Amino acid sequence: MDEFLKSCAQSIIDGDGDVAETLAKQAVDDGAPLIDVIEKGFAAGIREVGRLWGEGEMFLPELVMGAEAMKRAMAILEPSIAGSGGLKEAAGRVVIGTIEGDIHDIGKTLVATMLSANGFEITDLGADVPAGRFVDEAEEKRADCIAISALLTTTMNGQKKVIEELENRSIRGQVKVMVGGAPCNDEWAKEIGADGYAGDAVAAVALARSLVD
Amino acid sequence: MDRDFRKLIGRKVVLFDGGMGSMLIAAGLKEGEAPERWILTESEQVMGIHTAYVEAGAEVIQTNTFGANRIKLSSSRSGSSLDVAEVNLKGVELARRALEAAGHVDRFVAGEIGPTGQFFPPVGTLTAGEVRNAFREQARVLGHGGVDLFLVETMYDLREGLEALRAVREVSDKPVVVEFTFEKKPKGYFTLMGVTPRQVVEALLAEGADAVGANCSISSGEMVDLVFEFRSLTEAPILFQPNAGNPVMEHGIAIYKQRPEEFAGDIWKMVEAGANAVGGCCGTTPRFISEIHERLTHG
Repeated sequence: MDEFLKSCAQSIIDGDGDVAETLAKQAVDDGAPLIDVIEKGFAAGIREVGRLWGEGEMFLPELVMGAEAMKRAMAILEPSIAGSGGLKEAAGRVVIGTIEGDIHDIGKTLVATMLSANGFEITDLGADVPAGRFVDEAEEKRADCIAISALLTTTMNGQKKVIEELENRSIRGQVKVMVGGAPCNDEWAKEIGADGYAGDAVAAVALARSLVD
Repeated sequence: MDRDFRKLIGRKVVLFDGGMGSMLIAAGLKEGEAPERWILTESEQVMGIHTAYVEAGAEVIQTNTFGANRIKLSSSRSGSSLDVAEVNLKGVELARRALEAAGHVDRFVAGEIGPTGQFFPPVGTLTAGEVRNAFREQARVLGHGGVDLFLVETMYDLREGLEALRAVREVSDKPVVVEFTFEKKPKGYFTLMGVTPRQVVEALLAEGADAVGANCSISSGEMVDLVFEFRSLTEAPILFQPNAGNPVMEHGIAIYKQRPEEFAGDIWKMVEAGANAVGGCCGTTPRFISEIHERLTHG
């Protein structure tokens, strides 16, 4: 079993979606304990990918391939877990996007992919998203958290607008807000009344976990 | 001044200009507005910035056309209504007029070409053909507009940088300088995609770039070692344009705290390390360029 879990993790580190999918199918067919397969296998792999990226040993293409492989494995495993009665709840529901006027969506997509790979249910609104739309979607999806990316110093004030819109609709208390992007930092998050700032996709996963817990 | 850029950069350290985007923001560029739009709507402002750089001593000024390729423009609401040909042509004209206004027609206009903002698989869906077409279209107009050289800058993907270089080469024989943007990681300098200085030097020079180098992402202090690394890899001309430190947010406004004197001090170290051309990127102003000019003139 240990060898099998290692192969699962390795398939994610290698960014090999074909192998990840095959291993996931094998786990389902063999009746393996799927929660363990995810936690000690595939998820361990994605955590290692995150670590290597943080240390500058992996770069954007490898990170994306690892996350994509993770998604393919999860697509096989999740229905089987649900079917077995051991329903695994999503870690949390997150509405994510890049703020209005800003078309940079690499960082945002990366965060979305990593959150999804770590079990969050993601609604990705894309880039150039008006403040009101974040709030509309968060209400509609009953999201636990809104994640707003801004890559420009000229657009980051839009993050504040999202929080103001939540306040206007009197639902600020019901949803957490996290911000990210090159010009942001902890002080900025505090200044606009956000619940937290994350400097990269790995930190964003940790932050989202702590916020929705 | 020698009107041949290739000869000039072989003979002396050439001074490029500094930041444009951060200057436009200071002049009132609105949230989310494409900087290239100002070429058409606020042409006097753009020309004024070019002129200030010329007066500060910049020998090469860069057109405000960083994002003026079809792919990048069409991805923003503010840019999608802009005409690629019009904005690039007018962009060159403003730079040229600034040289005339400052009485320095012997200096150079570099046609600036930045990345598309989109990605090749597995990150995105971009194809080499799309990229080549977009850059060829932009380069052709810049060439017709009469640029003296091309400056491909802030590249992070080796394939995209190469496509830009090839596109320019298809439509012009003018000099081409290519800058990539590196971050400093525990194991050395890498771009977002993991491209190394060695890869940039080898691939771009082999395909006919006249000079290679680095811009943006890091501060002048962090860029000095990168100059040593480039110099150890090639004898070809190398160009460097760092940021004015890292921006600090104060009340929602990005402040670049580095002083021009300190920046010029780092630039001087780069020159001593073998840089053939220098300038600034985000956060730098004509004050920074004039400070460097001082150092280059008087040592």
